[in-house]
Amino acid sequence: MLVLAIVTTWACGGTAAASQLHDQPSAAGRSPRNASYDIDVRLDHARRTLTGRERIRWRNISARPTSELQFHLYWNAWRNADSTWLRERRLGGNTTTPRADAWGSTNVTSIHVRRGGLPAPPHDDLTSLVHFIAPDDGNAADRTVMAVPLPSPVAPEETIEIDVEWTATIPRPFARTGYIGDYYFFGQWFPKVGVLEDAGWNTHQFHSGTEFFSDYGVYDVRITVPRGFVVGASGKAIDVGDGADGATVHHYRGEDIHDFAWTTSPRFVERTRMFEHPTLPRVQMRLLLQPEHAGQEARHFAATAAALRYYGEWYGPYPYDAVTIVDPAFQSASGGMEYPTLFTAGTRWLAPTDVATPEAVTIHEAGHQFWYGVVGSNEFEHAWMDEGINEFSEARADEVALAPNFLVRRYFGGFIPWVFRDIRVSRQMNEGLANYRIDAEADAQATASFRYWPSTGASITYYKTALWLHTLEKTLGWPTLQKAMAAYFERWKFRHPAPADFFQAVSDGAGRDMTPFFDQVYRGSNAFDYGVQELITSGIGTGRFRTTVVVRRYGEAVFPIDIVTTFEDGSRKTERWDGVDRRRIYVYEGASRARAAQVDPERLLMLDVNYTNNSRTLQPRAATAATKWSLTWMGWLQDVLLTYVSLV
Amino acid sequence: MVLAAWRDGLGRLLSAPAIVAGVFVVTLIAALPLTMTLRGAMQAHLGSSLMADEAADAVNYDWWQEFTAQSPGLGSTFTPSIIGFATTLDSVSGLLDTRVLITPIAWAVGVYLAAWVFLWGGILDRYARGRRVGPYGFFAASGTFFFRFLRLGIVAGVVYWFLFVRVHGWLFTKWYVNATRDLSVEPRVFMWRLLMYLVFAGLLALVSTVFDYAKVRAVMEDRRSMVGSLVAALRFMIRHPGRVVALYAANGVIFLLVLAAWATVAPGAGGTGMSLWIGVAATQCYVLARLIVRLLFAASATALFQRSLAHTGYAAAPAVARADAPIVDMMSPTGGSARGPL
Repeated sequence: MLVLAIVTTWACGGTAAASQLHDQPSAAGRSPRNASYDIDVRLDHARRTLTGRERIRWRNISARPTSELQFHLYWNAWRNADSTWLRERRLGGNTTTPRADAWGSTNVTSIHVRRGGLPAPPHDDLTSLVHFIAPDDGNAADRTVMAVPLPSPVAPEETIEIDVEWTATIPRPFARTGYIGDYYFFGQWFPKVGVLEDAGWNTHQFHSGTEFFSDYGVYDVRITVPRGFVVGASGKAIDVGDGADGATVHHYRGEDIHDFAWTTSPRFVERTRMFEHPTLPRVQMRLLLQPEHAGQEARHFAATAAALRYYGEWYGPYPYDAVTIVDPAFQSASGGMEYPTLFTAGTRWLAPTDVATPEAVTIHEAGHQFWYGVVGSNEFEHAWMDEGINEFSEARADEVALAPNFLVRRYFGGFIPWVFRDIRVSRQMNEGLANYRIDAEADAQATASFRYWPSTGASITYYKTALWLHTLEKTLGWPTLQKAMAAYFERWKFRHPAPADFFQAVSDGAGRDMTPFFDQVYRGSNAFDYGVQELITSGIGTGRFRTTVVVRRYGEAVFPIDIVTTFEDGSRKTERWDGVDRRRIYVYEGASRARAAQVDPERLLMLDVNYTNNSRTLQPRAATAATKWSLTWMGWLQDVLLTYVSLV
Repeated sequence: MVLAAWRDGLGRLLSAPAIVAGVFVVTLIAALPLTMTLRGAMQAHLGSSLMADEAADAVNYDWWQEFTAQSPGLGSTFTPSIIGFATTLDSVSGLLDTRVLITPIAWAVGVYLAAWVFLWGGILDRYARGRRVGPYGFFAASGTFFFRFLRLGIVAGVVYWFLFVRVHGWLFTKWYVNATRDLSVEPRVFMWRLLMYLVFAGLLALVSTVFDYAKVRAVMEDRRSMVGSLVAALRFMIRHPGRVVALYAANGVIFLLVLAAWATVAPGAGGTGMSLWIGVAATQCYVLARLIVRLLFAASATALFQRSLAHTGYAAAPAVARADAPIVDMMSPTGGSARGPL
């Protein structure tokens, strides 16, 4: 009730609009299906190459004609050391030079465009017109975006067919794609058309800190792999047949999805289980497990089912009838990644049962089926809209689905886990408060995500969003926020929302304009820090006491908060402060001494970077706590000393 | 021979409880300054906050993370690894993975090792003689051998630098990486890691044993050349490899039993009052046990060396006794010093 009063102090308007004029669902499907792919691809296991050809049926759903096509060739990020991806990785602190056999690349060998259902003339190969562009940073060495001029413009609502042939060198794992041993994971592996918006092409280069963006369509893919290799892929398996040279052809089809990933290995152990729920549709869960993790089958299924259940109940049902869970091979660097109807989880050989590995990552990636898969936000520019919203949702699901969930640390090269049963993993721990606290002012969230500083981008994308959504949940109440998010999910499924669309949905749900809140948490990079500066109580006559409470805004960001002062006789005084001034002084006179004063005692503001200074008591126990923890620490120091003395 | 030497060493250890008490006090004193510093930082950070209540009564991980985020340096070592058996996993893992110690901890380790360099002379002299030498004799022997062991320590420093920088690099950065870079099955990679740990720990054990026997020979034979002591130690180990290894293994088993017991009884975070002090007492018992094991390595090595050379209770240098003032002699019933070695 208090919070509602606070929130009503903000008022201002906002609008939201689609970035593509003709983004309505096609007659046959749930999405516009304006970028559909028929792909034939062959894996050469011995040479570590892919050879593919694709036919893209692309419809211009923007409001403007285009005389150019733009494609992502993501694997060219590992073609040379000066790609934008590798430059940014170095900026982020990873200066490791890839080994000679680690590089990957994509080479387009032919492009033909067909219009009006007519075959493309053979001499109309556009390959010679191909050139690479770098719209984000002008990096001439970056070849991750390919532009192809068209002989004539493609009008709005016009459909063309593009035939592309290419070969690719498979990298050792980068960015969740590549090979190790006989395990392969293929993400962003085919030439993929960019997104044409009303404002023009939205085709970003591959950046080390951000992910992807593409239109919805139908993917019909035939994958040829050596016999004995198990395949998992987006969509559903249609059939398996024999190919040339003793190979096997796996046919998959996925509808109303905006990407297609696949994996193959002869070591996968395949398991299936059905997700069933009283009100949600059935979903076949297919798990491709590493043999050494055979005992963790139930944990993967339970976590996936938890995501399908809670996200389904909160936001809307999972719209597909299948999902594939890939347990990635060790050292494959492909764990914890989402693709439509398929995701990679990640676990360890030694995985204690009361620790959320593999559960947390499984729930997170399964959750991306909703926030990324169904609601197709632009991950280059607004990564918080999938990662941040999903981080919040995952932490919420973890809280109800995973108990107990204790902190774990790993020793001896990360192989040996030790569970700390004194430390339960709290929701704010899952929401990354510890990381956000350090990086709070690194970037304004409204900055395009690919421009975030590489080493701190995750704190702004994932954690800040999760924390401000948690703050919204506490201020508006979960039923209100849940309805707002469900409405947003329903309104923007199979489309590309922008930040204003989410803000509008929240304002609609709250029944008031939330712009001032988003001005603070989204458009600014200021940190929140409120605290009690002074608490003084003194006698002023017989049986009377005067208590002075000074509260202060230490940070630059502003949020309305409560101040509660408690007295020795058990009485309480609650004040509401708009939090704008630097400090506020409250003076009370009464028959009792003060015991303590607290700013934001209910901890509504989850973004407060220093909660220790939020309270003061006149009966402090800091000395007791410090003695306890310093003596505990002394045991650790003595152990270190003893370990070294064994050498001399 | 080995069992007898081990029992003999244990007997010498138990017959000199003052040494155990002394090294325990040294271990406590070495840790106290930084502990007090950290305590001050924690108290200052908590101030008058209500967060201290939960931090005192259980684990307030919110406050914990705030404190470490705002307390660089010593505060960065305040991790969950300070709780219970994780302390041991962390310190042993840190050693084998060559984790770099932050400056204040490195200083504490350096000072502590210097204290041991000083004490080893007295400790080994006492164990070699197998009888009471008194504080004066103990510290005289410590002083006598301090600079010799300092020279030995410099040699040890060079050898350990080579092991921790070069050999560790070959094992873990080169061979391990090359052997495992194409492996995609975690247990197989772990086996390689385990192999590297065993090789590295084996080398550390070998080197520490050589330096242990070098110290034993230096004390027993009153050697001034530490290079000579090292060569002599190696000669002894080469002539009696079975005995040396068996004795090391026996002590190693005791060490593992101590770790197992600690893993079983190590206290959790606990609260305040009695539970805090029970936890502190349990930790100090573990520290005491580790020290006893370390001394057992030295005492049993001394006993083995003496038994192998039929020199039980022999030390080349004469025991040092405090020269009493002349007035003491005059006041004695015999009119002169009748006191034997302490």
